[in-house]
Amino acid sequence: MLLADVSETYTDLVTTVFSSTIAAKAWLASAALVLVLVQVTTAARIYGRLTFLPERGPAIARLHRWSGRVAFLLTLPVFFHCVTILGFQTPDTRVALHAVVGTFFYGVFAAKVLIVRDRSLPRWALPTVGLTLASMLGVLWLTSSFWYFTTVRFGL
Amino acid sequence: MGPGWRPFLVGAAVVVGTFALAQAQVFEPSVPAASAVLGGDVYRGETVFQRECASCHGPGGEGGDVGPRLVAAGLDAATVTAAVQQGRGVMPPGLVSGGDEADVVTYVVSISTP
Repeated sequence: MLLADVSETYTDLVTTVFSSTIAAKAWLASAALVLVLVQVTTAARIYGRLTFLPERGPAIARLHRWSGRVAFLLTLPVFFHCVTILGFQTPDTRVALHAVVGTFFYGVFAAKVLIVRDRSLPRWALPTVGLTLASMLGVLWLTSSFWYFTTVRFGL
Repeated sequence: MGPGWRPFLVGAAVVVGTFALAQAQVFEPSVPAASAVLGGDVYRGETVFQRECASCHGPGGEGGDVGPRLVAAGLDAATVTAAVQQGRGVMPPGLVSGGDEADVVTYVVSISTP
């Protein structure tokens, strides 16, 4: 009964803003993807690339950290819905790819967070894991939000 | 094993934990009781509904220009199944079938329960 209450509360909460829980997931993931693009851009600047952007410094670093934090928070309702309600499913290629990449997503995220503070690893480790994480979110977005917007509906 | 392995070990543990949680589907029992009766999946049904039915019945069955409001309409499974299979008014028969039909009927019953 408690589990039912949690799930119904989640659904009630989400549908105060969105038309359905699926729509909520699609938009939250889209917002996270935009922030991840900010992450990739600011990380590139921190590593001395994209020199047309403002000088690297505390502001860029702060933007990188906060875009990551907010992106992570935006993915949590999606994680809750996908993992605890829908579970691991493989009815077709799209869903199977989404399920497999989604299963690895938070593992790579955890590794990335730890690698940031680990000085014993080679310098290329962090951007490699960071780009892997961003690519994974891209795949997750393409196999869910993009699919929803193009085959179901584009709206809240 | 050096400290450099720690991020990858923690990451692997998180992957295993996520997979276990997904396999457990801890909140699946909270799906409305209609699922158990109808054999459909209310969450997949929601997706089918948004794709096939919402253009007339409105997002989430809130009512549209063509189709009536289904939320809290008090429809039972037999009524919804008959409407889906045989059509009703301007609604053509057989819009969905098979697994999609069971899923969408389950979803509609769940939202139409007052």
